[in-house]
Amino acid sequence: MNSTSARFVPSKRMGICEPMHQMAMWDFKGNNFLETSPPSMFEIETNLDNLSEDTSHGTVGPSSKYDQEASKSDDKVRRRLAQNREAARKSRLRKKAYVQQLESSKLRLIQLEQELHRTRLQQGQYVGGGIDTSQLGYSETTNPGIATFEMEYGQWVEEQNRQISELRSALNSDMGDMELHIFVDCGMRHYSDLFTMKATAAKADVFHIISGMWKTSAERFFLWIAGFRPSELLKILMPNLEPLTEQQRLDVSNLRQSCQQAEDALSQGMEKLHYILAETIAEGQLGEGNYLHQIGSTIDKFEALARFVVQADHLRQETLQQIYRILSTRQAAQGLLAMGEYLQRLRTLSSCWSSRPTEQT
Amino acid sequence: MQQALPFRDWLTTAGSGGGGRSAAAAAANANSVSESTIGDAGSARKLVAENAVVVFARRGCCMCHVVQLLLRGHGVNPSIADVDEQNEADLADELAKIAGDGSAVPQLPAVFVGGELFGGLEEVMGAHISGELVPRLREAKALWL
Repeated sequence: MNSTSARFVPSKRMGICEPMHQMAMWDFKGNNFLETSPPSMFEIETNLDNLSEDTSHGTVGPSSKYDQEASKSDDKVRRRLAQNREAARKSRLRKKAYVQQLESSKLRLIQLEQELHRTRLQQGQYVGGGIDTSQLGYSETTNPGIATFEMEYGQWVEEQNRQISELRSALNSDMGDMELHIFVDCGMRHYSDLFTMKATAAKADVFHIISGMWKTSAERFFLWIAGFRPSELLKILMPNLEPLTEQQRLDVSNLRQSCQQAEDALSQGMEKLHYILAETIAEGQLGEGNYLHQIGSTIDKFEALARFVVQADHLRQETLQQIYRILSTRQAAQGLLAMGEYLQRLRTLSSCWSSRPTEQT
Repeated sequence: MQQALPFRDWLTTAGSGGGGRSAAAAAANANSVSESTIGDAGSARKLVAENAVVVFARRGCCMCHVVQLLLRGHGVNPSIADVDEQNEADLADELAKIAGDGSAVPQLPAVFVGGELFGGLEEVMGAHISGELVPRLREAKALWL
């Protein structure tokens, strides 16, 4: 008996035609036996018919040597055919599983491509002040409030740079106080705009604002509640002003002190908030694995964080207003220029730092 | 310099309190901050009328803490009124009435100076920076300098 014949299910009598068709179409080695099978089928049937009379009933017992051998072959054939059936069945199941896997992978791939496309679109909108996109966490890129803020802040910085250049040339020129006043007002309003932007963004994601991720790294180093420290800025701009009158000196000194006190009060308030938040999240038994309640009560308290950002910005705003009242127009212009260039230096420092050549180890 | 506050017993009368409302009896003492728990809206009016500086604060609120620090930094000894969450809404209405007709309902922390609503943390900080706070405090006799 040749091996090919063993693959075909014998005899119409056994009533198993269908599996044979499937086997014929799907061959392990990839050959399509469809065309060739029908003739062989009949051929084989005849052969098998000759070999065994009625396998389901068993043979009566071989009376001759020929019969003995015939029945042994018969057994072998039966066993081989059964094994073959089994193998074919398993093969079909494997094929089915493989196809299903391919289908689901295809769906997943489509999903991922769409997500990637969306993310790329959002990132493309960024003209961030000092952000390089590798720093952005996934959450920031999907928050529209933050995406808007980043874009607006980028524009704010560009406008700031332009205003600083204008101030510089204005101060170097013969410009009178009346005109200079316009530039000063412009500058004051620009800062006011920033505080408004920050307040809105803090509502979208207070952590992004308070972490200073929207600023450059050097600016972040000096960060105090989502921005600069008013008292520090006062210290920086004082030496760059035209000589002050005695009264002005006194007023500025008082302002510096008030600033410091207000900053201390806010800092202590923040510390208290830290403490309360830490307590709230750690409440109850740690280790039991269920902490939905603690998450909930901590989130409720996050609203206080946004209020701190607003209050800190308010302090900055008030300080700017007060300094504006104390100084003359020309001094105020000098002050704005000094402050602006200081922040510019920090931003430049940050980009030099991030683009420095790193050592290959 | 510390304000000498008159000795006061704050007691809610059994009838007006209603079941379950908490009100603490607080003795005002010259050397300590006087604190009372507001359980009865009427006592809010009393506090405002009888103390130079009153801060109505939500319990455990960090903003309220900041206001207190600012005021104490000037040497003022404000009366702190702790407000329970459940009483907050009623108290806010009461404070609006004290502040005057047509005023907005104040947010906590609410600071009253010399019987008048001064404002919240923003107003206190603004006045602190602009230098207006100290004269107002002196006016209200909260400071003796």
